[in-house]
Amino acid sequence: MRSLLRRLAAGAPTPVYAIAGAGARRGVQDLRLVDALQLVDTPRAANVLLVAGGIAPEHAEALARVHDALPHPRATVQWATDAAGLKIPGSIPVEASSDPVSAVRSVFAELILGTRPTEEPILPDEAPASWRGVGPYGQGGTGMTGGAPYGRPMAEVGPDRDGLRLDVLPTWLGPFFAPLPAGLVLDLRVAGDVLLEATVASVATGATGLDAGTTPFARALHQAVPITELELERARDHLRWLSDALRTQGLPALGLRALRLARVVEPGMAAEVRRFAGIVARTGAYRWSLPPARGRLAAVLDGLALGPVSRAAGHAQDARLDDPAYLALGFEPILAAGDDAASRWRLRLEEAARSLDLAARAGGAHTTVTGVVESPRGRLAIGDAPTQRAIAVLPELLHGLEWGDAVASLVSLDLDLDECWSATTLHPEAAA
Amino acid sequence: MSEAMSAPVAIGTVGLLVVSGGFVVSVADRWVGAAVAGRSGSWRRTLAAPIAGAALSIVTSRTTTERPDGPGWALAPALLAALAALALAMLPLAPGIAPANPETGFVVFSAAIAFVMIAVFLHGWSPNAVLPLHGAYRYGAQALSFQIPFLLAMLATTLPAESLSLVRIVDAQAPLWNVVRQPLGLPLYLVAGLAVTFWGPLNLPDGHDLAGGTSAEDAGIARLLWAGARTAMLVAVAAMGASAFLGGYQGPVLPGPVWVIVKTLLLLAIIVAVGHLFARIRIGQFVLVAWVALVPLALLNVFISGAFLL
Repeated sequence: MRSLLRRLAAGAPTPVYAIAGAGARRGVQDLRLVDALQLVDTPRAANVLLVAGGIAPEHAEALARVHDALPHPRATVQWATDAAGLKIPGSIPVEASSDPVSAVRSVFAELILGTRPTEEPILPDEAPASWRGVGPYGQGGTGMTGGAPYGRPMAEVGPDRDGLRLDVLPTWLGPFFAPLPAGLVLDLRVAGDVLLEATVASVATGATGLDAGTTPFARALHQAVPITELELERARDHLRWLSDALRTQGLPALGLRALRLARVVEPGMAAEVRRFAGIVARTGAYRWSLPPARGRLAAVLDGLALGPVSRAAGHAQDARLDDPAYLALGFEPILAAGDDAASRWRLRLEEAARSLDLAARAGGAHTTVTGVVESPRGRLAIGDAPTQRAIAVLPELLHGLEWGDAVASLVSLDLDLDECWSATTLHPEAAA
Repeated sequence: MSEAMSAPVAIGTVGLLVVSGGFVVSVADRWVGAAVAGRSGSWRRTLAAPIAGAALSIVTSRTTTERPDGPGWALAPALLAALAALALAMLPLAPGIAPANPETGFVVFSAAIAFVMIAVFLHGWSPNAVLPLHGAYRYGAQALSFQIPFLLAMLATTLPAESLSLVRIVDAQAPLWNVVRQPLGLPLYLVAGLAVTFWGPLNLPDGHDLAGGTSAEDAGIARLLWAGARTAMLVAVAAMGASAFLGGYQGPVLPGPVWVIVKTLLLLAIIVAVGHLFARIRIGQFVLVAWVALVPLALLNVFISGAFLL
């Protein structure tokens, strides 16, 4: 009976909790299309932890916590971690150049059939701090409440927003919360379901991983790149973003379809993208799913050159306007005048379609090397990535939002830490 | 008029409905998901996936959190499953026959729906963690908003029957089904029913933006039981909708129970498709729509249905 159950279980798609570290964002996203794997939202639902790319040393403890959250039997596969990178004891290494799927599948089968032992916890199973009270339930001691419960601050009383005074809970998000880029940690003060305050606690910078500097945008910083290639990549990048964004709005299957489209679009396929944009509009995402405009971000975005985010709020900032090669092709940026997530969605989809048109008619035209490139996320220069500037406006963007709205707003910015790394760490020779 | 099933038969019938309904929903959800994603999964794999997934959940251990409410955590899926079973026990399967057939079936069903809030809140509260607790409070807001329109939509169907018995509600649809007689009823029931079962666009307590919400900390068998209880509740809501609005066991040629199954599958197909085609609704917007539109429309539905009977 037991062995029949195990044989049945081994035939299930492998539930994987994947952490996309430095340089692994795309590789991990593509795993969603593999039928034999099932990428889950929480480590509790997984049997295999896939750590892809580099993880910053300062997040070692957080990674260990994620590892220990997986139920038994569990195993870890580390894909494309460089020799100096963080290692989980007992994990199975997979080279950057090879496919992790077969390794994940075989380790899963061994785990379930009992031929491979489950991984032991890394951290000791104990409370992070003791309750400092003196009584059996931690009560008593000095001060009003008798101490700090297990090292956590007591809830404060928040401001009166609507006649109801709620406790304020200090908490945090990240560095491995599925809808956010791995490596970003936000400190939050939450009252009910509203974020009273969000501050950026840390952004992983010390990681090393796959060479993400091979994107056409990073190359265009120091060499002329065919406009066809650059614009095709922009369209694909926008569709890949859409795949994640649809998932966050509760449409994972449609998100997979966007990912498939991202992998097959070619110059001139704008009609396909526009047809898909029609499907997205019919999901009601713009009408009832995305947070409405609050009319305060447009001013904050002034001068930040955050690509589609800025253009959706009416700022005509586009580095392509400074490139004579683009102007010769009759390039004009798309502008909208709404600083909400829905206008960012619409603008990215329309931009993806127009980029494919532009890619089709660019012929052999190449970019002019100016040291500044318009990446899918905005103005990219060496040592200056749009995501760094976007992270700076997060406190203003998230302040006062309901949780779901906050996550949707974060996703609508298309934060990409890989691009930061490629702009800062991978091209010192270009900087010199 | 009411034929009571013997206890073992009634329990067996409800158990069969829960298990087979859960399997059908699971397969249908995967199949529709694959179709929307634009890939063609093999039928064999689609049919085997729920069984393999369940086996995997059984061989995977449970996990715990720091200082959880252990009994509450274990009880939450059992409570939700029991409420689904209670609702299904009221389901009229043939003229005069339901697993349990009290004269007040409507009241029992309503009570089961009202208690769903307790099960979901308990499930989110017990793990003592931020994301599940957040999902729990979300469902609180959601439940306070859907309960009145859901039960008012259902209540209107008791008027033509002049009875709170679900078997009589189905019998009263012999001349004309309620879906025609009360055109507002079924749409209201389905929207509120999505909220009851936190499915698709109204999966707010267990949503992706909360990394699974109330079930974010569930592992192994706990995860399987919660998913199973949730699909059982979905089957109960669909089956009751088929009885209250689509004439239940009434229909030509085929025997009554077959019609119940066919009509339930139809409503399940609609719900599963909606789940993959509509985006998650913002909780604030749902609360607003429920109180400003659904409650008045449901009241209007009751008044109009009553006026026709004068």
